[in-house]
Amino acid sequence: MNSVLFLILRRLRRPLILIIVSFAISVIGLSLMPGVDDAGKPWQMSIFEAFYVISYTATTIGFGEVPYPFSQAQRLWMTFSIYFTVIPWVYAIGRIITLLQDPGLRLAMVTERFTNSVRSLQEPFYILCSYGESASLLAKALDEKDIRVVVIESQQDRINELELGNSHNIIPNLCADAKLPENLVRAGVHHPLCCGVVTLTDNDEVNLAVAVAVKLMNPSLPVLARAERDDIAANMASFGTDHIINPYTLFGDQLAMRVHALGTYILHEWLTDTPGDKLPPPEYPPLGRWVICGYGRFGKSVVKNLEREHISTTIIEAAPELTGCDNCIIGSGTEAKTLLEADINNAVGIVAGTDNDINNLSIVMTAFELNPKLFVVIRKNKHHNHALFKQFNADITMQPTDIIAHECLAHMISPLLAQFLELVRNQTNTWANQLISQLVSVVGESVPETWAVTINQKNAPAVTELLNNGTSVSLENLTQDPLNREQRLSLVPLMLSRNNQPLLVPDTSTKLMAGDCILFCGRPSAKSALPTLLNNTKILTYMIDGVEIPNSIVWMWFKNIKTAKKIKSVQSKF
Amino acid sequence: MNLEKVIFGFFIVLAMTLNFGFFIGDIDNSTHHHVYELYAAIIVSLIATVLKFGDRTHVGAILLSTSLAADLQLIAAAILWAALSGKMDESSLTVYIVSLSGGALMANFVSVILLISETIGQRR
Repeated sequence: MNSVLFLILRRLRRPLILIIVSFAISVIGLSLMPGVDDAGKPWQMSIFEAFYVISYTATTIGFGEVPYPFSQAQRLWMTFSIYFTVIPWVYAIGRIITLLQDPGLRLAMVTERFTNSVRSLQEPFYILCSYGESASLLAKALDEKDIRVVVIESQQDRINELELGNSHNIIPNLCADAKLPENLVRAGVHHPLCCGVVTLTDNDEVNLAVAVAVKLMNPSLPVLARAERDDIAANMASFGTDHIINPYTLFGDQLAMRVHALGTYILHEWLTDTPGDKLPPPEYPPLGRWVICGYGRFGKSVVKNLEREHISTTIIEAAPELTGCDNCIIGSGTEAKTLLEADINNAVGIVAGTDNDINNLSIVMTAFELNPKLFVVIRKNKHHNHALFKQFNADITMQPTDIIAHECLAHMISPLLAQFLELVRNQTNTWANQLISQLVSVVGESVPETWAVTINQKNAPAVTELLNNGTSVSLENLTQDPLNREQRLSLVPLMLSRNNQPLLVPDTSTKLMAGDCILFCGRPSAKSALPTLLNNTKILTYMIDGVEIPNSIVWMWFKNIKTAKKIKSVQSKF
Repeated sequence: MNLEKVIFGFFIVLAMTLNFGFFIGDIDNSTHHHVYELYAAIIVSLIATVLKFGDRTHVGAILLSTSLAADLQLIAAAILWAALSGKMDESSLTVYIVSLSGGALMANFVSVILLISETIGQRR
């Protein structure tokens, strides 16, 4: 801000001096001119009166000749001073306006405002480097969960979209190149409350540049980067990027999960969705032969995963030399001829995975005409074709931006959640289905809140105090409703992490120890009720044994006397 | 010969000298303090302040601050004079006006001393 102020002051020097000089000469001249008062006696204006008259002359206001009508000499001088003062005045006003419109100045002011709003953030926040489709979905989801976000985006129209959208919290944003380290610093890379940097642009080189810059400037800050090319992903991993997200491999994994472990897939989606959405309906991809159209990164990932599940595939690819496909039918799949060559009538499923939405829609429409019982998986590239895809209503629509956003959310909501989901993948489908039914019965069908609680002095003082006194606190006590200890809050403990050893879906009779981290899943009402139990010793004690502790010293003294009397009377009986 | 430095030094010294000229004389005798000299002191002080704008060095910042202090007191003296000139007795009004201008004089002294020290500090 200082440099902006100095710039303004420097540029204003000449106009200001011109105004001062023109005023000075006009005022002294007017006060020296001989005038006549109303009685006809000679009179001269005082300096202050002259200053007053010239002020309203220079600013073109023009009240009139005060206090007495002017003599010829005074009017002569006034004529001269009108031209002499108005011109510098108008010049100065013009200069000030041009100065304020200077693009360099405005950029400096906007950047300054951004830096200040980032510096004054009091809550933990994430930095998003780009505001493309996946980043905007992520920002919206984080905003719903009340996690703060700071955005740097190089295209002004995306920033405009961000500013026009509704958000619960203010999202500081800057139109600048995220690769430049100074912009990252302005966005808060060194800020103590920054929780991480997320870079999801569709250009791998940019993501790489941002990841390198952040890791150099603040090595302990988590970085989530999108990388679609394997060499760039390996490059990122080599200097310690925390999470590298490849939407194609993720989708391939998810498709495999859907085939052999639908429960696991549903659990994964449900926990990382935006709060308020409903549970996705189960769709079982059939076993049999599938036709895959398009052998790019997406197609390769799908083929790899399906063949791992022992599903045979036929590949249709328009340019096999480019994609390295050995054994496939050449064609784009949009014409019926190619599909018939791939024996579409005997296939159970079709995957339309090219990078052109219209081609994908055309492929599945043609295929559907030939074989209406096909299970359709379609790749959706751009969000603006959403209406078409919704109309078609394929069995599975894969949108890279959705997948990326969900994966990021899994890591950002709580590191425990990411760990939990990873462990869930290794469980059986039956286990996942059981967990889902348990969750739905407690939490309901809408997407729940997920949050983590650490049992230490800062986050759970009441529990720590009781543990230090030797009282045992079990997980069950944390699920009781503070308003009525017989009832249970709508939450479920998903995972207990003790000394970095995770325990999935712990039994509620588990005793808590200091240093435990618990991952909860539940309704927002439960999330806001839980801190009462964690912070308030009185309430927690009541939950455990149902006995009320008195509040004030006086009552406690009374109670002690009563208890002492009781003990005495019991003792005297013996 | 740097014309810009000549003008800069000229206005700073002129501001101080005009201010001194107004200040000197019996503090309660209004015939010793002429209104046009106060007027000239104000004008030149304002010009000197504007010339000091935009200098990012430490010395530049202090020069600007002393100028602003002087301007403030001179303008206060002028306002007092214009507002109270018929209403209270001449000699006590003169005392007020001249004491304010004395304060402005001290600020101008500091400004000139800084100018001198900056000039001596340069070996050219």
